[in-house]
Amino acid sequence: MLGPGIAAYLILSVVLFATGAFGVLIRRSPLIILLALELMLNAGNLALIAFARQLGNADGQIFALTVMVVAAAEAVLGLGLIVAVSRKRVELDVDRLTSLRG
Amino acid sequence: MEVVLAASASNILVWFVWIAAALALLASGVAVVLFANPFFSALALIGNLASLAVLYLLLAGEFVAGAQVIVYAGAIVIMFVFVLAYLGGRADAPWAGGPTLQNVTAIVAAAAIALEVIVVIALKAGDDLSNTAQVTGAFGSPAQIGELFLSNHLLAFEVTSIVLLVAAVGGVILGSAMPTSDDEEEAA
Amino acid sequence: MDVLAWTALFSPAVAVVAIALLGERIDRRSAGLLASGATFLSFVCTAALFFQLLGREPENRSILSTPWTWLTAGDLKIGASVLIDPLSVFMMLVVTGVGFLILVYAIGYMDGDDEERRYHAYKALFIFSMLLLVMAGNLLLLLAGWGMVGLSSYLLINYWHQRRAAVEAGKKAFVMNAVGDATFVLALFILVQQTGSLDFSTVFAAAPDALGDGSTLAVLVALGLLGGAVAKSAQVPLHTWLPDAMEGPTPVSALIHAATMVTAGVYLIVRTSPLFELAIDVQELAGILGAVTLLMAGLIALVQTDIKRVIAYSTMSQIGYMFVGVGLGAYGASMFHLMTHAFFKALLFMAAGLVIHALSGEQDIRKMGGLARELPWTYRAFLVGALALAAIPPFAGFFSKDAILSSLIDQGSLGWILWGVGIVGAFLTGLYTFRLLFIVFFGEPDPYVREHLHRERFEGPLSMMWPVGVLAVLSIVAGFLQVPEQWHLVTEWLDPVVESVPEATGGLALFSILASLGAATGGIAVAWALYRRPGDRPAAIRARLPWAANALEHKLWWDEAYDALFYRPASQVATWLLGRIEGPIVLRSLGGLGTGVRDVSDRVAAAQTGRVRGYVLALAVGLAVLAIVFLVVA
Repeated sequence: MLGPGIAAYLILSVVLFATGAFGVLIRRSPLIILLALELMLNAGNLALIAFARQLGNADGQIFALTVMVVAAAEAVLGLGLIVAVSRKRVELDVDRLTSLRG
Repeated sequence: MEVVLAASASNILVWFVWIAAALALLASGVAVVLFANPFFSALALIGNLASLAVLYLLLAGEFVAGAQVIVYAGAIVIMFVFVLAYLGGRADAPWAGGPTLQNVTAIVAAAAIALEVIVVIALKAGDDLSNTAQVTGAFGSPAQIGELFLSNHLLAFEVTSIVLLVAAVGGVILGSAMPTSDDEEEAA
Repeated sequence: MDVLAWTALFSPAVAVVAIALLGERIDRRSAGLLASGATFLSFVCTAALFFQLLGREPENRSILSTPWTWLTAGDLKIGASVLIDPLSVFMMLVVTGVGFLILVYAIGYMDGDDEERRYHAYKALFIFSMLLLVMAGNLLLLLAGWGMVGLSSYLLINYWHQRRAAVEAGKKAFVMNAVGDATFVLALFILVQQTGSLDFSTVFAAAPDALGDGSTLAVLVALGLLGGAVAKSAQVPLHTWLPDAMEGPTPVSALIHAATMVTAGVYLIVRTSPLFELAIDVQELAGILGAVTLLMAGLIALVQTDIKRVIAYSTMSQIGYMFVGVGLGAYGASMFHLMTHAFFKALLFMAAGLVIHALSGEQDIRKMGGLARELPWTYRAFLVGALALAAIPPFAGFFSKDAILSSLIDQGSLGWILWGVGIVGAFLTGLYTFRLLFIVFFGEPDPYVREHLHRERFEGPLSMMWPVGVLAVLSIVAGFLQVPEQWHLVTEWLDPVVESVPEATGGLALFSILASLGAATGGIAVAWALYRRPGDRPAAIRARLPWAANALEHKLWWDEAYDALFYRPASQVATWLLGRIEGPIVLRSLGGLGTGVRDVSDRVAAAQTGRVRGYVLALAVGLAVLAIVFLVVA
């Protein structure tokens, strides 16, 4: 294979995942959290495609496509929730949205 | 000699493209996470997705790259941008108020995860990850993807359609006007 | 024959279940008809059994029917067995015959009561329990019937459960019976341990070897059985429940506390006489207790003012006679007296019930008088009963009491002493019985009577009158079953089961008869002198012997003694336990368990902050830790 080996792609994927996780943990606006979530999903996709290439098995690409579909569905619902919450004139801050406390 | 030269030339090209794409990937990722203005974060996500598409192309996943651009960058991010426009894109400052326990622990945890996996990869890079299979030109082509979807992974194919349906219905319900809040507004 | 026996046993039980299940769907009268009809069926079956037994040879008259094994515990096997022999058939005839008459009477007496169906169901339950008791083929089934008659008695004594006095009386009866049950069970334990069985035949055969004649074990067994008999038959010292049991309706008093349940003690002693004969001292103790009760109850009856209480003490006294009889081995005579006593005592109670019914519930004899003119048939029935009770020939009581007395004479010094007590008792019996008769029925009607007397077309409803009539006839003729020196049908009938001591004959017998007759007529004469007209002679006697009158009116302070000895300490212990042990330790620990769980859960719930970021952070940290773990392990 030309270019760097699979290991490099995997390391990229992990760093991207950690960046996304960091974003989910740090930010307070739910919109940005969703964006960071997308980063993490894409990192997973990259790892899948890399492994598919390494093993010569296109099932990994199928998996990645499915992940994309699911990510799309999740984004729709997450955004819908955010819109519904904002309609209630509640501030979009996950630290304030605590009505589910025990 | 020509073959070797050609091989090394394409190798250098591939390396160059790879490094560019990787840097863009990481930079846009950090940008998504760190920009205060959400609008800029969404734009940075587009850049991220584009670099990912390039990396997919390098990995012989043409169809996936195309789908990535069309679906992700062309639909999902647009949806994000619509919602941002609707909501006004409030900014929030993550570093306001100094280093809290949450923030510090978040940095440590994320770094730990990354480091651990890198260590594992480095340990395995020698043996398991060094054998890359030889693939034909048809690998990752729409024809092969389609064939796989309709034979081995037919169930996944059908189920994803149901998932999308559910998401669409859910989105409509969530987005439609809630009776109480609107009635209150009209009464007031 | 088996079918007859089991039908006789279970027919009242079916009636109980039917009344309970049908509930309000049948009217009240039908419930009574159901109960009495079932008892009549039992009586018919019993009569058939009697005739079948008659057709057999005397040695061949004991049939044990065991359809299935009821209880198995190791080597001990106890069957659900029913014993048909002369003794059990005798008791069955008394129970079902008199029971049937009283159940019919009760239909009229309880008419209009709110919960009449419950009454008839309980009555049928009682008949079933009593039949189980007398038909049992082994001691465990007898104990089962024993307990169930105690239960039925409790249920029927506080039938009018809104009345506090009735509830207290029911509890008292049940607890005292429970004391007797406890001693009974202890005796059974010893029997099982020594003989390995509870069947009558096995136990009686093995007892002489297993227990030994006069040994401690035999004495203990006999004492235990005696304790049960004393409690059930209201003899000293477990007698205080019987007068209080008069809180129940009059037919209950007639059936349970005169004719049948209280005689169960006598039946028990007769049935287990082989065991008593191994401990002669205990048997004689039974006789002594009977004599003491006889005297004491007779004396207390002299000052009672409640018509039913007089008859209750009289019952206690007469059962004392039966205990005296079995104490010295006169089983046949005692059973004979049991039968005649059932007739005339039930008759007396039912006549008293007619009086109470006519006076709308009044039971104080000081408010009665002159009822002979108003209720002539009741008066005649009561007179028959009183003459039978006082043992005046040719009424039944004369023959049966005399049978017991003449069996006592030739039995050594104890026999003579008990005979003497019996003669004094005959005097007292005549006295208190006719005191009651004269006060209630003679003289001028009391103002209360003039106000409250109400009569139906006849003196009472027909359903109440004809059973009284039947019993009156029986009280007259039943005595002739056993005429001294001529024939002894009852004793001969019971001979295959229990051998009785022979009665005295010749001069001694005549002497006994004359003495008892003289005592009885003497008592009647004194009563005539004192009570025929309401004068102040009784008051004068009371003035001369104030301490005696006081003691008797307080029933010799038995109740007060038991209260101080048993009830107060027990309730104090219970209160102390409640305060010190049950409250702090038991209740608080349970409560503490609940509170503790709630505290812990509150603390755990504090982890649910509702902040999404916190949850995700926990996830991320967990993931990091897990990754290290996997690294290390792999």
